Amino acid sequence: MAAENDAGAGTKPLAHTVMGWILDVSPHILVLHTRRGEQRLPLAACAQAWRGGKLPPAALRRGDHVVVRRRLSGGPAVDRIWAQVGRVAGTIVEREGPATLLIDEGPAKGRKIVVIATEAAGRIQVRFPRLEPGYLIDVIGLKHDGFLRALIPATSQPPYRAGHPPAPPLVSGHVPDPVSGTAVWHEPGEEPEDLLGLAYPALDPETSCERAGAAAHGAAGDLHAVDPHATGPGCVRLPYLSVGSMLRLHNECAKRSQLLPVTSCGAMARLFCDRCVTCGTSRKGRIADLTVAAFVELGGVLEDGCFNATMTIGG
Amino acid sequence: MLTTVRDVQILLLAALLLGGCASKGWRAVQTRSIVATINTTGLFPLRPGRPAMVAMCVTEFVLGLGLVATAGRAGAGGAGLPATVVRVGTALFFLIAVAALNETRQRRPQAGCGCFGDFSETPIGWRTITRAAVLCAAAVVTIGLPPLRMPSSASTAELWLATTALELSLIAFLSPELGEILVRLGYSEPCELRRLPVGQTLAALHSSSQWRRYAGQVSASAPADVWREGCWRFVVYPGFARGRRVDIVFAVYLQARRRPPVRVAVLDADTDEVLGKTELATLALSTRL
Repeated sequence: MAAENDAGAGTKPLAHTVMGWILDVSPHILVLHTRRGEQRLPLAACAQAWRGGKLPPAALRRGDHVVVRRRLSGGPAVDRIWAQVGRVAGTIVEREGPATLLIDEGPAKGRKIVVIATEAAGRIQVRFPRLEPGYLIDVIGLKHDGFLRALIPATSQPPYRAGHPPAPPLVSGHVPDPVSGTAVWHEPGEEPEDLLGLAYPALDPETSCERAGAAAHGAAGDLHAVDPHATGPGCVRLPYLSVGSMLRLHNECAKRSQLLPVTSCGAMARLFCDRCVTCGTSRKGRIADLTVAAFVELGGVLEDGCFNATMTIGG
Repeated sequence: MLTTVRDVQILLLAALLLGGCASKGWRAVQTRSIVATINTTGLFPLRPGRPAMVAMCVTEFVLGLGLVATAGRAGAGGAGLPATVVRVGTALFFLIAVAALNETRQRRPQAGCGCFGDFSETPIGWRTITRAAVLCAAAVVTIGLPPLRMPSSASTAELWLATTALELSLIAFLSPELGEILVRLGYSEPCELRRLPVGQTLAALHSSSQWRRYAGQVSASAPADVWREGCWRFVVYPGFARGRRVDIVFAVYLQARRRPPVRVAVLDADTDEVLGKTELATLALSTRL
């Protein structure tokens, strides 16, 4: 039986997720500084923490930014904590040395620096054999000042160059509804970090992000940067929607559903023609790029990077 | 009769080879990238993919042209050397294709063969491999064939046509690309994916009976908001009705031709209360008319 939670329409409070900075932590209590002030959260006996790897919650550091999830079954106790977690997904535009990459995340998000951790280099190199300009990368790691220390490959590198994603199969009649594929998460950027919503890969090109984005990106004039708006629909055909459209997203792995608003442009997700294998193998293509809050509320595990999802337009 | 069957093979093989080369080339021209062509085929996944793809395309072109050029008297005086070389080369080409397709099917079961560019994205199956084997056999039977001539009688011409039709049917049956081609020929883009300018939507709205009905209540020349939900584009105009400020929401169905259906709802601008009977409540917003 799927758990239903319709609380999230962008502005409503989060049911299971808390975000903030650690003021204090003990084996039983986590004290956070959040936007709503200080919060004391009891830790479940089975609580797990992640800070580049799994560790006991008491080993977390004061001052760390954390995403905390209360038990999905209910109650105030915290069962998962992610500290300093970050993600960068985009096109490699520069490489300096064996481990430093400049990644273009599209017109809306700009560029980020990724430094591949020595201990993770082998694993990342296996999943991303072409760490060179023009190819895609998607990594999860620890946020530092001005860069991300990459530790986990969030997907396998598509074999094509970023600007040439494969064309999706033609659709006869109407676009399927619901549509299945991969749901991923992104860092908040300029959005409020507790925003419940998603970046949708197929916003109406006439009234939404495409025109402004394309113009701004063109000005950058970089050889390897890819304007996702100019590369076609990506490998899954999604109906055009607008910011504010409502979608019901179902996490097939955690059996949870939620009604979410489209809050931003997710055109970059169109470049990734990949599958999620968190629980079985999903259909090809990213159908939603969730905010961290929405991903966690839906039962997603941040270090997994994705979950197999089904999306219904309009709920 | 056997000679007629052998005669037919040369032109069929040439047409298929040149067609394969042209479809790959067309894909590369369309996307301005050979890499895009390689992406449709699982035959060359590794680094030498680009030169190998170019070499395959060139080989198809040369063999196809060679088959035609050496088919008549000029090239093949009985078992003329150029004709024999081209025909043996063609047989070898398809023999290698059988082995490569079989290998790719085992190693990368999801990969398409890319034999006819982006028409060949269906995973390699027994039909694709059998087709290559049939073409290999067709190339083998042409070795040593005397120069082609026009059919000497009506019955010979009929036999030619019958053999050609039969073999084309066999190749069509063995070609997963055929389904893709038929789909594309009859394809009509779903309304959810149709890109239509806002100006066109506004023009359609302004010429509709619904607009004429509510135009007296509209208080601005330009819409206050425009957004899209699948097959429908929504246009909001501010206005006055029954002594209060209202939002008049028009929903215009996105179709390129004819007069699109238009529906309308009037909402109180302050409370969002729907005034009167709304037509939008019955809309399946995202997909269906």
